[in-house]
Amino acid sequence: MKAKIVTIIMLAGLAVAGCAPETTNIDIMNDEGKAVMALDYRDFDQAASKLIQSMVGSGALKKEGGGRYVVATGRIVNDTMQRIDTDQLMVKVETEMLNSGQAVMTSAIGSGADELLHETRELRDSDEFNQETTTQKKTLIAPELTISGKIFQRNIRYDRNRQQVEYYFQLKLSDVKSGLRFWQDEVLVGKRGSDKSVAW
Amino acid sequence: MKNLGILLITVTVLACGCSKTQDSRIHMREGVGSDTLGSNIVTRPVTHAFSALIGEGLEVTEAVTRKNDAGMLELYVTGFNKSYDTKRFRYKVEWLDADGLPVETKTSTWLQMSATGKAAFSFKVVAPRTNAVDFRMDTRKWE
Repeated sequence: MKAKIVTIIMLAGLAVAGCAPETTNIDIMNDEGKAVMALDYRDFDQAASKLIQSMVGSGALKKEGGGRYVVATGRIVNDTMQRIDTDQLMVKVETEMLNSGQAVMTSAIGSGADELLHETRELRDSDEFNQETTTQKKTLIAPELTISGKIFQRNIRYDRNRQQVEYYFQLKLSDVKSGLRFWQDEVLVGKRGSDKSVAW
Repeated sequence: MKNLGILLITVTVLACGCSKTQDSRIHMREGVGSDTLGSNIVTRPVTHAFSALIGEGLEVTEAVTRKNDAGMLELYVTGFNKSYDTKRFRYKVEWLDADGLPVETKTSTWLQMSATGKAAFSFKVVAPRTNAVDFRMDTRKWE
């Protein structure tokens, strides 16, 4: 009797394990997976690609007289119902700005600031450090341009069973000295699906 | 009765054939412009079925590149959707440098595009690096 129960439990366990979907790695180069209501990496790739092309193509990063602009990343507001790390968008944008040869990003201030830049400057007063190896004053370069933006979401009831979710990716590039906006653009990613799907 | 049907089709075909050719830059969709063989209620099922049978789809008519003021290569793709249905597709552009080697960029990703039936379509892609001199483009169906 006991052996029978053990066999049944084992068989049931095997059956359940067999039903579980297999874990696979995503082919991110040619992902043919279905769309999801929430934002996934494909949406970020698409939005970043379009925004970068728009910015680079506009000529806003071309500095008169040559050279590279110093750009600081400002606040990127996440106004969606999802917990998004806005770096998912900005790292791609910043990387392409750097690689374009027209801009250099600053880590001294802004949302992309590196705390260690300021911490290492406090070593000037420390007896523990060779003062010749510490950073001198007035070495940081101030930004000439700032880039900031927003990602927001709108949920609309499409019909009885379906909802429409609109995600807006907005970026703007401003000149620090004059306050003038050199470039801005918006990319819309729209999804329509079941009301039961959760978009957050 | 059969003769009446043939007569009706003949009249429709003639009527469609008499319509003036309009400016090719302007696309008048079904229900907006005058009837054509593809939009007429009588001939539409036959023309649409024939189009689907021979597998009409998108045709790229021109791919032009130019350097913009910032020194970046721009690609302008224009084409025509020969099918009667709206065709949704994805495209990916890879940029190549002077040695023919791919330029690594985050912008080389699958982007969406849609072309309405029997209409022209166009899109523009910009290389984010100055060392891009040529391109390679791939397409696939939009699931």
